Amino acid sequence: MSAIEITNISQAFNLGMSNQVDALTDINLSIASGEFVSLIGPSGCGKSTLLRLIANLLVPTSGAIVVNGKSAKQARLDQDYGMAFQQSGLFEWRTVAKNIELPLELKGWDKTRRQARATEMLELVKLSDFANHFPWQLSGGMQQRVAIARALAVHPSLLLMDEPFGALDEMTREHMQSELLSICRASGTTVVFVTHSIPEAVYLSNRVVVMSPRPGRVAEIVDVSIEGERNDATRDNAVFFQRITAVREALRGVEMSDHVRGIEDR
Amino acid sequence: MSSRSLSVIRSVLPPAVFGVAFIAAWELVVKGFNLKPYFLAPPSKIWQKFTENIDLIWGAAKVSGTNALIGLLLGAFLGMVMSFALSRFKFLNNLITPLAIALNAVPIFVLVAVLNNMFAITSEVPRRIMVTLVVYFIVLVNVAKGLTQVIPTHVEMMKSYAASDTQILCKVRIPNAVPYLFTALKISAPASVITAFVSEYFGGSQNGLGSRITSNIANSKNAVAWAYVLGACLLGLSFYMVSSLLEGVATPGGRAKRTREDR
Ligand SMILES: Nc1ncnc2c1ncn2[C@@H]1O[C@H](COP(=O)(O)OP(=O)(O)OP(=O)(O)O)[C@@H](O)[C@H]1O
Ligand SMILES: [Mg+2]
Repeated sequence: MSAIEITNISQAFNLGMSNQVDALTDINLSIASGEFVSLIGPSGCGKSTLLRLIANLLVPTSGAIVVNGKSAKQARLDQDYGMAFQQSGLFEWRTVAKNIELPLELKGWDKTRRQARATEMLELVKLSDFANHFPWQLSGGMQQRVAIARALAVHPSLLLMDEPFGALDEMTREHMQSELLSICRASGTTVVFVTHSIPEAVYLSNRVVVMSPRPGRVAEIVDVSIEGERNDATRDNAVFFQRITAVREALRGVEMSDHVRGIEDR
Repeated sequence: MSSRSLSVIRSVLPPAVFGVAFIAAWELVVKGFNLKPYFLAPPSKIWQKFTENIDLIWGAAKVSGTNALIGLLLGAFLGMVMSFALSRFKFLNNLITPLAIALNAVPIFVLVAVLNNMFAITSEVPRRIMVTLVVYFIVLVNVAKGLTQVIPTHVEMMKSYAASDTQILCKVRIPNAVPYLFTALKISAPASVITAFVSEYFGGSQNGLGSRITSNIANSKNAVAWAYVLGACLLGLSFYMVSSLLEGVATPGGRAKRTREDR
């Protein structure tokens, strides 16, 4: 069964006004259950917008989105997905642990169960010592890890992540990538993942969706298909480098047609 | 010495030195130029009158302080209730905001004179209404801001958890408004004391600090009037300190969080 079915989606902001922005046009994308799909493309090409459409935080101007076999709205109401926003969006009046517990509170979990899960999540993102700190006492990268822990806390069947590892150092980033992959493998989680890093997209994904700007559309979909389990050895694999080149070529095509910057070569 | 006590000294020492120097200069000027006591009393004389009249000053402070406190509590309560209504019903906002601005433009103390005519001559009610009104608007404007000016990502996040409007109110809007409420209280606390004094100038019983100041000046008891002014300063200061202390207790981490930009 496909986890996400996007048909002929278009999204315009300020429709019919002089400052109308056509953020997305004619997007078609089908994501299988348990699949890991990355979105990559120049800044402003509509990656965050697409994610927010899937999350039903925006209603598309036209087209249809089906999530887990139901409308995007029903999927949101059923709390089918966990989301990590581009801005960490932590609540500054809550401690780190209480921030992670928030979605569990809204699910009506009791206190002991919430605390146990928060502790588990903090271990995962290596922030156990900071449970009782406030977000503003943490560095940007640490805040981002708390936001990831919060998105994972409900063990959602679908994860929507908007540049979640952007502020992390290289070692922490690789650690988080491996953790994310093993969590998803263990639980069969579907992931839609926005990133600016080509190696990250290739390492994590089954497919990389390359998007072009103005108006945002799908330029090319690169099938990664690297054999076997992904681990640190994968990063030295010849196929891995081939796929990186393929994504880079696709992006170059996008960049040539529209002189937009914003892709890092990490 | 710990860095904490150092920083306390650093923040307390300059104003303390300035205050002592100012009082010393005042004393010297009055003594040096041999100013007449009805023109300006020296601090030593004021302090003497203050200790002599301490019971009377305390009695007057209780009258003004009670008026200020009742108005402060009532105004804060009504302001909070109204701000909730405003944030809940947008149309009320369009109705009330221009009204609040218009009312702020009216020299509000004029109302005391009108209110005094409506109640018995010895009634404290007009003064309390005045304080209530002043505090009400300060609290209303600030808390309404705190309830509505939330970070959009926070609201989106709550929506992504399928949270209801009530849950968004309790978990986002109200916590966001708490620092705004304490800012309002820190402004309101001294303002309530000042309003209570000034209201006493417009007639009614001559029992509060404000009316004692005027009556002593009228009787050329300059130093005694200053002693009452000192009492008024102390009352205003204690109101401010209590509200500031409450803020420290109620918001762990205090307002430091507001100084960080990356949210
Ligand atoms: N609420 C909005 N109102 C008007 N225009 C918007 C709104 N949100 C996004 N846009 C526009 O839609 C386009 C796509 O924005 P989006 O945030 O999806 O880009 P992005 O691909 O996520 O970029 P980045 O990589 O910089 O995060 C941009 O041109 C942006 O200006
Ligand atoms: Mg974005």
